Amino acid sequence: MNDRIIFEDVSKFYGEILGVNRVNLSIPPGITGLVGPNGSGKTTLMNLMTGLVKPSRGRIQVLGIATDDPENLFKLVGYSTQFDAFPKGLTGFQFIYSYLCLTGMLQPDAERTAWQAIERVNLVDAASRKIAAYSKGMRQRVRLAQALAHNPKVLVLDEPLNGLDPLARSEMIAVFRASAAAGCYVIISSHILHEVDVISDQVILLSNGYVVAEGQIQSVRNEIQEHPTQILIRCDRPRDLAARLFQSEYMIEASIHKDERGVLLKTRDADRFYLAINQLALDGIQIESIAPADDDVLSVYEYLIGNEEVVR
Amino acid sequence: MNRLWWTQIKAVIRLEWKKTFFAKRGLWIYVVAAMPVALFIVYAVVTANQQHQSANIARQSQRAITRQEMLSIKPGMTREEVIAILGKPPGDFQWTETRPTGPKTTEPILREDFHYSDGLDNLYLGLENGKVQNINMQGMNNFGEDAILFAGVFQFFFLRLAIFFGCLGVFMNLFRGEVLDKSLHFYFLAPIRREVLMAGKFLAGLLATCTIFVTSEILQTVAFVGHFNPHVRDLYLYQYHGLEHAAIYVGVTILACIGYGAFFLVAGMLFRNPIIPAAAVLIWEGINPFLPAILKQFSVIYYLKSLCPVEIPVSPGTPGLFALLVSNADPISPPLAIGGILVVALIALFVSSVQVRRMEINYTTE
Repeated sequence: MNDRIIFEDVSKFYGEILGVNRVNLSIPPGITGLVGPNGSGKTTLMNLMTGLVKPSRGRIQVLGIATDDPENLFKLVGYSTQFDAFPKGLTGFQFIYSYLCLTGMLQPDAERTAWQAIERVNLVDAASRKIAAYSKGMRQRVRLAQALAHNPKVLVLDEPLNGLDPLARSEMIAVFRASAAAGCYVIISSHILHEVDVISDQVILLSNGYVVAEGQIQSVRNEIQEHPTQILIRCDRPRDLAARLFQSEYMIEASIHKDERGVLLKTRDADRFYLAINQLALDGIQIESIAPADDDVLSVYEYLIGNEEVVR
Repeated sequence: MNRLWWTQIKAVIRLEWKKTFFAKRGLWIYVVAAMPVALFIVYAVVTANQQHQSANIARQSQRAITRQEMLSIKPGMTREEVIAILGKPPGDFQWTETRPTGPKTTEPILREDFHYSDGLDNLYLGLENGKVQNINMQGMNNFGEDAILFAGVFQFFFLRLAIFFGCLGVFMNLFRGEVLDKSLHFYFLAPIRREVLMAGKFLAGLLATCTIFVTSEILQTVAFVGHFNPHVRDLYLYQYHGLEHAAIYVGVTILACIGYGAFFLVAGMLFRNPIIPAAAVLIWEGINPFLPAILKQFSVIYYLKSLCPVEIPVSPGTPGLFALLVSNADPISPPLAIGGILVVALIALFVSSVQVRRMEINYTTE
């Protein structure tokens, strides 16, 4: 499969310490969120994907290229790491320019492309200053510019929004979305769940070095049987609705919204529940909206991993 | 090598040379490289001062003295015989000592030091009770002695210490320094073969060390011949192979940078602490004369010593072990020596290329 990022039974141990274990993944194009608490193996997975560390066992291929072939791999891949160190004495521009020269680009092309990347992350004013004098957010942006500079097909971004102000965050998210829309593979790790929820097309949940779930968030949620599905219904007669629905055996819990214009319901069988709702609507209850209340990353994360070190 | 690799190597060199030449932690390398230059400048100043003094002594002599006349003085000659040949000494220092001759008896001894000069050579005579006891003839332009002095400084300080530790400082840091600075991933994230990266870094290190140490070597030669007057300088450079020796020393310096550079490049990848490989290589190079012939070949100094143009003579009475260190008991021909050092360097670079492919970014364990 040359159109996917493939992990086949991959394990990584640092001596006796587990990095990740028995990881099997097939990552499609789009934005993939890597979610997990600190130490869950997100960075290890990204470092494995980019050949910075070697797997103790298993095989990794990025669009058909082995990760021990950096010459071809990094033509396709751009990686914004969490390492907050840079080659000494370089300005922001020199950092990007030097990287592009290392790719084998001719100097005039490298210069032009470096400025384009710097413009993409909105760092033009600071580009001539030494990176050592940059703020945390500026360092984050220059790392992103390096990852984006050669227009890679695969963008691997480790906590890419750390240190960015809200405006810069939204600008960067727009960049990631544009890349994904253009058919790129954008792998983003974050422990800020609502960010991942907003931008990811699919997620990979990690805990203690194991992949606990992967796929589109709704699919993942549907597979979690032990936690009932929560649905918020906005309507004119929430108490009537709740009473009628409680006649069914698949209903578990209902709580009336504090504005008396909605009801939060928990059910064991979402499909039968939705059929029943249709009937109720036909019976005259004015339903304004029906929305799943726990098919977001946060809920799935809490169900599967618990709420340790989660930033909502 | 394809064109892309060469472009990438040039990019690595451009990035590395600034770091290597202007790194604060590499300033000591300039100091070490400058030390023999300073030594020869001091030597030139002292020698020029001595020449000035000799000229003064020659001027103050009663008559012009020839070298042959100075050489005709033998131990046992009387004060009067010496004065008859060389005239009254312009520099004459006398004092009296007492020597015990029995339990309670002493005898006085009249001691005198005479200093003659023909303007180039100096004759120092020690007289005891009017008879010549010691004769010391020092030539101001003794090319043989000067060449041995230069060879000694080159072999025992410049090669074994300055270039050795200079290469250690530069080449060990090519990868190790990046790991300590946590910036190696910058290179590993580029679409460049690790072997090409290694070659670029090695060449950058080689460029830096060759520039520093070849410059030092040239300045040493300039300082060394600085005290000769122009006529003697030409004589030394063109008749006594001074220029040829200088060129060979530059060549040996470059080969030393290649050999030690390759050695320390691989050591920087295999060891976290530079002291361990440095001590190991220093001991290995030191015990090289005592090694069996087959093991000698895996040493840089073995080949370098074979290439040095001036052999340092072993004085009679020198302890056996030290004599072995000084002399090259088993020299090989220059083509073999050059080939040998390049082969040693290539083996080290091959090991480096295997090692660099295995390297992982794991700064937390450093």
